[in-house]
Amino acid sequence: MEPKTLRPIIKYLSDSQTEEIHEGSLEILEETGIKVELEEGLTVLDKAGAKVDYQAGRAWIPRQMVADCLELLPREFTYAGRNPEKDCLIKPGGRLYSRTAGSPDFIIDIDTDEWRPVMVDDVKNIYTLMDALDGISICTAAFAQDWPKLGRDILMLREMLSHTDKHIHLRTDTVETFPHMLEMAVIVAGGKEELKKRPIVSLLEGHISPLRYIDVMVNALLMCGEYGIPLEVCCMPMAGSTGPVTMVGNLQLLNTEFLGGVVISQSAHPGAPLVYAPRPMLMDLKTGFSLAGSIDGEMAAVAGVDMARFYNVPVSVHGQWSDSVLDDGQSILEHTYTALMGALSGANILVGAGSLQETLSISFAQLVMDHEINQICFRATEGFMVDKERLAVEAIKRVGPASNFLADEHSVKFCRGERYTPEMFYRGSVEGWEESGRKTYRERAKDKARAILAEHEAKSLPEDTSKALDEYVAYAFKAIEK
Amino acid sequence: MADILQQMQKDLYSGNVDEVKAATQKALDEGMQAQDILSGGLIAGMDEVGKDFKAGELFIPEVLLSARAMHAGLAVLRPLLAESGAPSLGKMVVGTVTGDLHDIGKNLVGMMLEGAGFEIIDLGTDVSPAQFVEAVRAEGADFVGMSALLTTTMPSMKDTIDALTEAGLRDKVTVLVGGAPVTAGFAKDIGADAYAPDAASAVDTARAFMA
Repeated sequence: MEPKTLRPIIKYLSDSQTEEIHEGSLEILEETGIKVELEEGLTVLDKAGAKVDYQAGRAWIPRQMVADCLELLPREFTYAGRNPEKDCLIKPGGRLYSRTAGSPDFIIDIDTDEWRPVMVDDVKNIYTLMDALDGISICTAAFAQDWPKLGRDILMLREMLSHTDKHIHLRTDTVETFPHMLEMAVIVAGGKEELKKRPIVSLLEGHISPLRYIDVMVNALLMCGEYGIPLEVCCMPMAGSTGPVTMVGNLQLLNTEFLGGVVISQSAHPGAPLVYAPRPMLMDLKTGFSLAGSIDGEMAAVAGVDMARFYNVPVSVHGQWSDSVLDDGQSILEHTYTALMGALSGANILVGAGSLQETLSISFAQLVMDHEINQICFRATEGFMVDKERLAVEAIKRVGPASNFLADEHSVKFCRGERYTPEMFYRGSVEGWEESGRKTYRERAKDKARAILAEHEAKSLPEDTSKALDEYVAYAFKAIEK
Repeated sequence: MADILQQMQKDLYSGNVDEVKAATQKALDEGMQAQDILSGGLIAGMDEVGKDFKAGELFIPEVLLSARAMHAGLAVLRPLLAESGAPSLGKMVVGTVTGDLHDIGKNLVGMMLEGAGFEIIDLGTDVSPAQFVEAVRAEGADFVGMSALLTTTMPSMKDTIDALTEAGLRDKVTVLVGGAPVTAGFAKDIGADAYAPDAASAVDTARAFMA
């Protein structure tokens, strides 16, 4: 008998449906192909056997090439932390990890509830919270609107490194700045080979649907492979606008686009670590807005995870999404079902903590609440122990009819470690609640955020590393300003 | 006469492009004035579409199909309207600003505006201030519509407004801005004339300026 309950997996696609979607992708890549907006990408594809039109910036990928490239993908790798204790081992059937959403431009002020741009002080606080909260495994980039536009990604990484020793998940803005960010990671890792062995940074990048691989995306596919850092291939068609309006049609396109990214990456750097990041969005048919938090979108995302598991590749899935403009009942509700479904999909990384209005905004309260939602999700994937002693047949016989288990030796032995204890749920009486200030869940989350910000100190960088990084940043800015 | 226009409105609502085009031509052949066909047939039809869209009864793809029918009818009428000196319904140069390649929002707004009878000159993505200025000059546009998805590219909106001022064109155009990270406050700060949070309000805003 297994010592633990089964890991529950929500599966939407049957085997034949999965096959059909895969076949459809192969057909589209072969007959319609993709647009590649960086010449180096076209050269790579050309050399590897694709049909290429350099003038038009188009490439058509034969099915055998897709099959070969899928074979080359590594099945497991580590999102390493500057502190090895915080490593996240990403592997088939491995435990679930979480990361925050990237990247908010606005914040709901913790004191005034005002919606305003994210500034440098906010960013430092965001990083501090991400580092402190156990429910956050991986920290994703957040940018300050008062940083210079060119080079803000370089500044972001410099700042993040001072605030956390967890794995740092990057965003980058330009082809010019990204190489500098990689070199900064090399400095912290202690060398290019060391970074490859223990990648302390990863990146998420996406093309523009449908099938348009813009320069930053092609550059990311190539450079992440060169440096050996994991790249989340973000496929984000919007059903009804940049993707087919049907749920499965949007997934068909999304899957095709993932395979296109795989081929570019593996043709240049066989074995480069990639993560499938299915992000099926929906265009609101009444307003044109991009919708994040719907049940339909989450079902489609879980079906995306089905495809990833079909290919046996690591996958990151949203996870917390909401269209709410503030951290209210709607955002908590949307975050809960999207997170739970994402967690139970069998994915490796659950994405989205802190996000509001898709990912346009963040609030500290939401970040803290999502830390708790993540903990609950981790618990939901773990199940519980099943063994002879825990089955308690002996205890039940011993206690017998019409008695109780309150002080039984079995209760004493197992009363710790069997269950998850939420930090911020109130579970007492009405009187107790009134006496303690009548606080809502949101207010308790704010209190926790304030407490963390007052007390938490991240593990600092070694002084020589700090110095080397600062020197490099100055050099990088001179280089990009040319 | 009235029958042709009534049917045209129905066909426009249903997105029957060929029928609307044919009916427009037939109405002209039977002696109707282009301006009357425009207002009594095409615009009246689109107003119904707009009403039901606002009520949430029609969805965007359906509205855009009607817009296509409108556009087909308008294409037949345009030369005659120009000849007769009828006032233009509006001409807008649209583009996604420098460094930004995202265009679905801009595309949607452009298509919705065409549905309202506007002439749209779409400059595409990664459009520089100079390109906006040149297009305004060459086309005699009433509006400039700028879109951005990335906060890093939003400053180009101000650069474009400055370039229009430098070129002596600022007071000849109405500048409308939009995009996910763009706000009314930002639009005001950079000296834009208007901000719209979504495609439908972009159409309303543009029409209000033309009134």
